[in-house]
Amino acid sequence: MDKAITVNHLVKNFEVTEKKPGLFGSFKSLISPTRKTVRALKNISFVIQPGELVGFIGPNGAGKTTTLKILSGLLYPTSGFTQVLDFDPWEKKPEFLKQISLVMGQKNQLWWDLPAIETFELNRAIYDIGKKDYEESLAELVELLDVGKILNIQVRRLSLGQRMRLELVAALLHKPKILFLDEPTIGLDLIGQQKIREFIYEYNRKNEATILLTSHNMDDLIDLARRVIVINEGKIIFDGALEDLVKRFAKEKIIKVTLSQEIDVKKLEEIGTIKKISFPQVTISVPRPATAVAAAELLQNFPVEDLTIEEVPIEEVIRKVFGSK
Amino acid sequence: MKKYFSIFKISFQQEFVYRINFIMWRVRNILQIFLIFFLWNAVFSQPGAVVFGYDRAKILTYVFGILVLRAIVFSARTVDVSGEISSGDLTNYLLKPISYFKYWFTRDLSSKALNLGFATVETTILFLILKPVFFLQTNPTLVLVFVISIFLAVFLYFHILFIVNLVAFWTPESGWAFQFLFMVIIAEFLSGGIFPLDILPLAFQKVVYLSPFPYVLFFPLQVYLGKIATSAILVGLITSGLWLVISNLILRYLWNKGLRRYEAVGR
Amino acid sequence: MSRNSFMNVLFQRMAFMIFLVGKVLRFLMFFGFLFFLLKGTKNLAGYNLNQTIFFFLTFNFVDVVAQFLFREVYRFRPLVVNGGFDLVLTKPMSALFRVLMGGADVVDLATIPPLIFAIYWVGNLFHPTPLQLVLFLFLLFNGLLIATAFHIAVLGLGIITLEIDHSIMIYRDLSSLGRLPIDIYKEPLKSVLTFLVPVGIMVTLPAKALMGLVSPLGALASSLIGILGIILAVRFWKFALTKYASASS
Repeated sequence: MDKAITVNHLVKNFEVTEKKPGLFGSFKSLISPTRKTVRALKNISFVIQPGELVGFIGPNGAGKTTTLKILSGLLYPTSGFTQVLDFDPWEKKPEFLKQISLVMGQKNQLWWDLPAIETFELNRAIYDIGKKDYEESLAELVELLDVGKILNIQVRRLSLGQRMRLELVAALLHKPKILFLDEPTIGLDLIGQQKIREFIYEYNRKNEATILLTSHNMDDLIDLARRVIVINEGKIIFDGALEDLVKRFAKEKIIKVTLSQEIDVKKLEEIGTIKKISFPQVTISVPRPATAVAAAELLQNFPVEDLTIEEVPIEEVIRKVFGSK
Repeated sequence: MKKYFSIFKISFQQEFVYRINFIMWRVRNILQIFLIFFLWNAVFSQPGAVVFGYDRAKILTYVFGILVLRAIVFSARTVDVSGEISSGDLTNYLLKPISYFKYWFTRDLSSKALNLGFATVETTILFLILKPVFFLQTNPTLVLVFVISIFLAVFLYFHILFIVNLVAFWTPESGWAFQFLFMVIIAEFLSGGIFPLDILPLAFQKVVYLSPFPYVLFFPLQVYLGKIATSAILVGLITSGLWLVISNLILRYLWNKGLRRYEAVGR
Repeated sequence: MSRNSFMNVLFQRMAFMIFLVGKVLRFLMFFGFLFFLLKGTKNLAGYNLNQTIFFFLTFNFVDVVAQFLFREVYRFRPLVVNGGFDLVLTKPMSALFRVLMGGADVVDLATIPPLIFAIYWVGNLFHPTPLQLVLFLFLLFNGLLIATAFHIAVLGLGIITLEIDHSIMIYRDLSSLGRLPIDIYKEPLKSVLTFLVPVGIMVTLPAKALMGLVSPLGALASSLIGILGIILAVRFWKFALTKYASASS
């Protein structure tokens, strides 16, 4: 098997019934509904090699989750060719399902009222995992995700971060060759996000699993993915190395300062372009290579109470990327 | 095989978490039986009374039969399927290498085992308290047919219940209402779960027999009580089997149609 | 109303309509059962077809009216759990009234007139005297009083233990034994139904009154139970309030 995932001219349309506003409209939509076609994926193509860690990024509604769902066999493609590990995902053959895993933020597979270990045992049986393999797998995952102490507590009593980590254990017990992660860090605090990212990186490195993860959080991508596919409004607008994306499109970084005194705004313009002022907050954008110098200058020469350095929001990068096509 | 035992086990554990709910459920079952038992007791207060082809022993056996057969046939966890479809939790199971039908059937078996255990105890206790006259079927062929008809009933009810739950693919918000209408109301009455169908005039009975419901509870009980002629028994078994085949086809068709429509919504 | 929220309400209504159809069907089927049963047996514990039907109708009336008035009680537990009850307590309107009767649904109301008509029609077949009619209405009101007392007590229990659903279900199951005259039940069940959960007084007694089987004295004595019930229930509710530990996180 040379390619892990092949997608060729994939199109996905959804039929939605449009509900017109008002009382009359609601009745009308019951009797003779107007159907609208939502084009979620407009002819996308890409290939992923085994062992790659690919970031799938784009704004909400761009088509990321739809793509993952098609690749895992949940949604039926309108047209086009999809192949994962030499299988047609839609057929959902057991041999196929045993080699993949899809983890979505809010879709919990752990049985809510029972301790997580019970769900793990259930999965062991469902995926036909041998006793030795299971114990090894479990030990490894428990250590990596640091969940040893919470295995025997009712899932409903645990925090979101703890549940997320246990969900990952449940999803990986059968050592899938392909891992689809949909917004894995959503809803987690900064530490939680960091832990998940570290885990994904390690998992990809140790098990040579192919990982496709979606996010609209740029930090997920920076830490993890060497290759990113940018999707917007159902179309792929960039597919390549992360450095190229950032270098090409996010030429600037954002510095946000909180000032302790009023200052002459003109002076700030010497450091960078002012994007927004609402005293005491000022937002400046500076060219990427000049970030450290600009920050140092601000701290030295201005009455700065607080200073943060941020990436340009992904939506802006996307807009730029889309704009330049 | 091991996977089904695992499902059986975890389903059983789940029931234990909601012990109180379960106990309440059994209490409610018993209260319902009280109503029916005393009702018929009053009807047959005169010794030797024969009404609608039943004597006192047979009718009271019918009542107890309902208690036990309902535990075997009606106990199900499949009622949760429509909720899973509406909430999008179905997604988790579509990703697993297991048949959704076999999964739920195994969970049903777990529920039936638990309920049957309790029903047996309850029947014994009620039997000792109320001391009804009991009718024991001694004809071994009839007992065999009775057991076969129960098997058919279990599978048939599973199919009907599943089909009703699949409505959630098309109307996720109203799944529970359909279930109430079909299973709690229509199925309970037309299966003979509240009263024996032979009190209805013949014309009504003929109509009811066109549906699959009598075969789920009433037909097995009638076989046991020996109230069906041999020729009719064969016809009954065949009709039962036919309904099973039909419902299986409908189930598969709706499942495939529903899956296409299922957008795996809910992030 | 926003587009979406109306569609939501519409779908909820549709589901509720189907639910209602189910309840009407259940009524009709049990009615049919009693009808065909008594066609065959001619009498049930000494009562004929019309009388048995009348017991059934009276039960349904008390049951439906109680459900119509006290639908809000079924929503009490979530209200306490999510802290909404605190808000209710701070409002000027009586908290008890709000959580008891706040959720009356118009759709339920639709089923009541046909019932009343049926009761009138069947009741007329007994040619009741004015006294019997008065006693009937009086005891019917008394029955509703007892039902109210029960729901209040259940609410009080809900505040203390957060256990509502089971208490209501027990109440519903026991009271549904009143679909038939409680004379058919043997002791000790009969006593339970007369004194503990007074289904007998709530349902069987009013019906008997119309048939001329109850003396004014008996009616008066029963009404004492109704009044006593309400007093005790409200006392219990007030007591429960003192024990209330707010659930806000």
